[in-house]
Amino acid sequence: MSEGYATEETFTTADADAYDRWLDTTIAVGILGFVLAMAAVGQVVTLTASGDALNGVFLTLSAVVTGAVGLTAGLAALNVVAVESRRVRGVGLGLLAATLLLTAVVYATGVQLVTLFGLVLLVDSVSLVGAGIASWTGSVDTQPNASAGILTGSVFALVGFGIGAAVGGAFLDGPLYLVAGLLGAALFGVGTIVPREDIGSTLPTAAVTAVFAAVILTGAIGPDWQWLPEGLSGGFSGVIVVPLFVLFGSLFTSWSAAKCRARFGARGRQYGAFLVIYLNAVMMVAVMVSIVFFVVSRGVTYAFHGVQIGALSLLVLLAPLLVLAINRARNPSGTSEWHSAARQSFRIAPVAAIGSLAVVLVGLIVTGETLDYAFEYTVLGDGREEVPIDTVAAITPETAVGAWVLAFPTLILAVYFFRNASSLRGVGTRSPTLERVQQAVPLVGTGLALATIAYVLVGTGFPVLVTVGTGLVVAGAAAAAGATLFALSALTSGPEGLLDNAQYVPVGLAGGVTLLAVTAFLEPTVTVSPGVGPIDIVPAVALLGVLVGAVVAVAAAVARNRGGDDRVFVSQALLGLSAVCGFLTILGLHAAFTGAPVDLGVATVANVGSFDWPFVMQSYVPLGIEPGGIYPAVIGTVWLVVGASTFAIPLGVGAAVFLTEYIEQGSFTAVVETATNALWSTPSVVFGLFGAALLIPRLGDQRSLLAGMLVLGFMLLPLVLITSREAIKSVPDEYRDASAALGVSRWETIRSVVLPAAMPGVITGVILGVGRIAGETAPLILVLGSTLNTPNAADVLGNFQLLSSAPFVFNGAVMESTAALPTGIWATIAAGVSGSQSRGWGTALVLLLVVLMLYSIGIVSRTYFRRKLNYE
Amino acid sequence: MSNSNVSETTSTLGRTRRRVSTVLFGSDPEPGSKAIVSLGLVLIAVTIALFLVQPIFVSYGLFAFLLVVAVGWFTYQAATARLLTLIATTSTVLTIGFITFYLFYSAWPAITENGPALVTLPDYGWFFFLDAVLPVDGSYYNPAGGAVSLIPFFWGTLVVTFIAALVAAPLGVLGALFISEVAGARLRAVIKPGVEVLAGIPSIVYGFIGFTILNTFVQDTFLTDGATFLIAGLVVGIMALPTVVSVSEDALSSVPSSMGDGAVAMGATKWQTMKSISVPAAFSGISAAIILGLGRAIGETMAVAAILAGGTQFADPLFDIFHANMTLTSMIAIQYGNASQSLEHVLFVAGVILFVIVASMSIVSQYIERRLDKKLKGQA
Repeated sequence: MSEGYATEETFTTADADAYDRWLDTTIAVGILGFVLAMAAVGQVVTLTASGDALNGVFLTLSAVVTGAVGLTAGLAALNVVAVESRRVRGVGLGLLAATLLLTAVVYATGVQLVTLFGLVLLVDSVSLVGAGIASWTGSVDTQPNASAGILTGSVFALVGFGIGAAVGGAFLDGPLYLVAGLLGAALFGVGTIVPREDIGSTLPTAAVTAVFAAVILTGAIGPDWQWLPEGLSGGFSGVIVVPLFVLFGSLFTSWSAAKCRARFGARGRQYGAFLVIYLNAVMMVAVMVSIVFFVVSRGVTYAFHGVQIGALSLLVLLAPLLVLAINRARNPSGTSEWHSAARQSFRIAPVAAIGSLAVVLVGLIVTGETLDYAFEYTVLGDGREEVPIDTVAAITPETAVGAWVLAFPTLILAVYFFRNASSLRGVGTRSPTLERVQQAVPLVGTGLALATIAYVLVGTGFPVLVTVGTGLVVAGAAAAAGATLFALSALTSGPEGLLDNAQYVPVGLAGGVTLLAVTAFLEPTVTVSPGVGPIDIVPAVALLGVLVGAVVAVAAAVARNRGGDDRVFVSQALLGLSAVCGFLTILGLHAAFTGAPVDLGVATVANVGSFDWPFVMQSYVPLGIEPGGIYPAVIGTVWLVVGASTFAIPLGVGAAVFLTEYIEQGSFTAVVETATNALWSTPSVVFGLFGAALLIPRLGDQRSLLAGMLVLGFMLLPLVLITSREAIKSVPDEYRDASAALGVSRWETIRSVVLPAAMPGVITGVILGVGRIAGETAPLILVLGSTLNTPNAADVLGNFQLLSSAPFVFNGAVMESTAALPTGIWATIAAGVSGSQSRGWGTALVLLLVVLMLYSIGIVSRTYFRRKLNYE
Repeated sequence: MSNSNVSETTSTLGRTRRRVSTVLFGSDPEPGSKAIVSLGLVLIAVTIALFLVQPIFVSYGLFAFLLVVAVGWFTYQAATARLLTLIATTSTVLTIGFITFYLFYSAWPAITENGPALVTLPDYGWFFFLDAVLPVDGSYYNPAGGAVSLIPFFWGTLVVTFIAALVAAPLGVLGALFISEVAGARLRAVIKPGVEVLAGIPSIVYGFIGFTILNTFVQDTFLTDGATFLIAGLVVGIMALPTVVSVSEDALSSVPSSMGDGAVAMGATKWQTMKSISVPAAFSGISAAIILGLGRAIGETMAVAAILAGGTQFADPLFDIFHANMTLTSMIAIQYGNASQSLEHVLFVAGVILFVIVASMSIVSQYIERRLDKKLKGQA
């Protein structure tokens, strides 16, 4: 392909003459008009704005354009970024010039926006006429075709019909407007098709733009203009029609000017078409961004009122970002030329930013100051009016770290480090001690896990059980400490020891983390009053583990810096870091499970207090001044998603395995495929009806959480099936063949070769599917119900009951209706004036954040794994 | 009946039996595993039957099934794993079967009670002829008064979908061209996921935006008291846009690059290649994308329900895009909660109509896509 475009490259970078600059500027004016018109359609600026209001808008616009063009031009001049194309340079400079000129006009004359629009269209029109005639008279070198083409002709015939009919309708009576319309169509159609291309594709555009300019400038169609077609229950006002005129006028102008700029012919058509395609893409992106921005701007105050976070918790949350930033900074950057230094500075900028933020946070802790931002949010008052309330969002100098705030990021980091470390299997020598540890860890771990299950089922009814349980916890923690210290023994003989006993590190650290994790899960099931006496052994061992991990990591890093077998040391350092994070996770889990804060001297790990987000973490307060939050809805959505996933993921993945691995393409697969696609496209409300007809009569005859879970599960099923099937299909056949050649059975191959290879794809598909069902509303209205302001969250975990007769297992919480985020928004709409819109916006923002977060995680992981698959 | 005929019948039977056996047990089942697989199949069938008939006893069936699976897992693991995936596979077919059955089953009383009155206009017969003579104050839908014509809502769905198509089809195809042909690799890497995210914005959020702008924006611009088909159609069009973009983009990028290379070799510009090679080659895929997008638009519920609210008056005149009444989907969402028994059945009829329309659109678009696939593979 590249050869074919080589000439194009030289063409776009060829020197520009005055004609080109003129057209570049015309294109720029067209783009500017397009953007301003979009702003006017969205009522960001009103048409009647003038004076200070309009000055402000244009000042902002000039600032944005100057900044964008200026920075790009500066970087291009310094050779940091490459802007080769003359056209891009020309349009950029044109944008700058046009914006500054318009701003000057606005400041000098104080015109209304609508008049300015008229003027812009007039300038467009005149400029196009000039361009067309210059080409026709042969003053510039162009290669026009004989005609602008039938397609362009028919588009203009359509436009001509519209203009003719509108003019006819204004001045003539009865159906004569149709005649006028046909006349307009003929005029424009012939005017486009018959003359040479340079006239045929500029003059009609200029005429259309001139007509738009004329009706706007003469005030025939102004902001107050109205048209109410007879018999219809509404009509169009100038507020929407004028911007639409400008939108289309600018689009036509840019298209025509682009054709001229590329000197007509095949290249001209391409440039014109591409410009329209680009503008369409810009519009789509603008729509998307403005939807998100709109929801954020409306909901942000309500959703984030009273948010507080301790500085130390925030520091912990920065840790994963720091790792990301370091990874980015590690990328090698170019040559020794000076502008590669500029590129490098972009690479290390994130690290620097995180560093300075961290110092600010540490400063808060040291000085004891609070960083806060005061604002107000509105709630629904007694008289159905919105009442503003003062609130504040703050970063407090608190040194407590929330248990989950600690556990989540450290868990992610632990997994990340662990995955990046390569297995040290087969490195170094195997000692008998190593063998023994390797055998003991799984045994002890399984024993502890079984004990946990036993305690969950039996409970701690007898005092002796508590004593035994406490003993088990102590034993588990001691075993974990032993395993951890075993890793340390690799260090006793320096770097040689690290190499010789390389496997001590992974076995000891992983064993320690695993055992302590199991113990941490056992703990809450056996302790009646947590945090008493010897129970605190778990955090103690966790701290020991953190220390050991850090020592190992540092030792390995030092050994590597002194030279030596790089890969082993790198892996050991990573494993050490992984262990540090893993033990910190367990520390967090311990605090979360037992509720007992862990005092570390300078800081505490506690269940409550370091992070407060009232909107998400509080229930509705019926008679309070502040109405609290939407905790029940958040919990409801979480349970719906969890339930639906538990139901749908095994079925979807299982079906995908069967279809790809067990059966040949045939009539059975065709039936399943058709059924899956039909399920995928079935309207969500039909799923709701289905749930109401099948599930509700069989699940206690009332709307319930369980029915909602199952219906969402049915909706998730095709999404999971389709994506998992693709993931499994994309596993190369070589994998299966190699496995079969080794004599491995089909099921063993699926379990240990195909599924692990396909897992990333499957997980991505599941995340995207879950993102989709998390926002589903219609089926939930039918099977879950929608309630405004629910005060109580569904307590699913605390409501399991074992019965002696059918159905044996019963859960009261899932058999009742509850709140969910999407149904909460619907309840606000359905409640009309008694629903608080500001609260609705807050809920919508939280829902949007949840869904967008799931989507971005899914998309990022897909990109990551796809890239990995391609490189391998 | 001749002998050969009989043997032919038996051989067909034998082949069918073999085929069923291959689906159920695999081509070479472990010896002895058939019993446990059959038992598992019977038990899961019994469990589903119990759930349908006597849901309280479903635990017995489920526990028995789990027991068999547990035993099977330790004796014939491969066969048991295959059995589980087989059951998972049939679940999709069962689900679509159950949806079809229960929709029709629940709609049946309304169909027998009201007959053709559900899809005709009272006193006037079929609606197609009646454009000009529609009575202004005629009540087509008034469950209390016994009028249950679904035509006004069918019409609402049609108008909203039509407006949505006007928005989504041209913009979507242009967007797909941008992503697949015009944008560079880096821009594509940003825009493509962006379109997916746009598809992920929940419909209730669109609905809430639409609901809140009704009283300000719409009154200013379209001079009505708020709710209109026009706004609903525009919003649904934006919602259907991502589907159209991503499916047509798939169709465009599945055109073999050798075809485009051929055009470039002839000296064609990129735009000429797009216009005369890529788009015509992917035309059926693009139309499948538009059909799928329309299917989304027809099935869209919450945005429409939030914007159009609960009106039941038929549009008069028919092309009044500033009118507002419920659509088939939104009437189910809005009315189901406080519907009487007989009205519920009517709502199921609306569900049946929706289901049939959208399912057939899905099948048509699948057919088109499969044909495109075959065509392009034939040429490649």
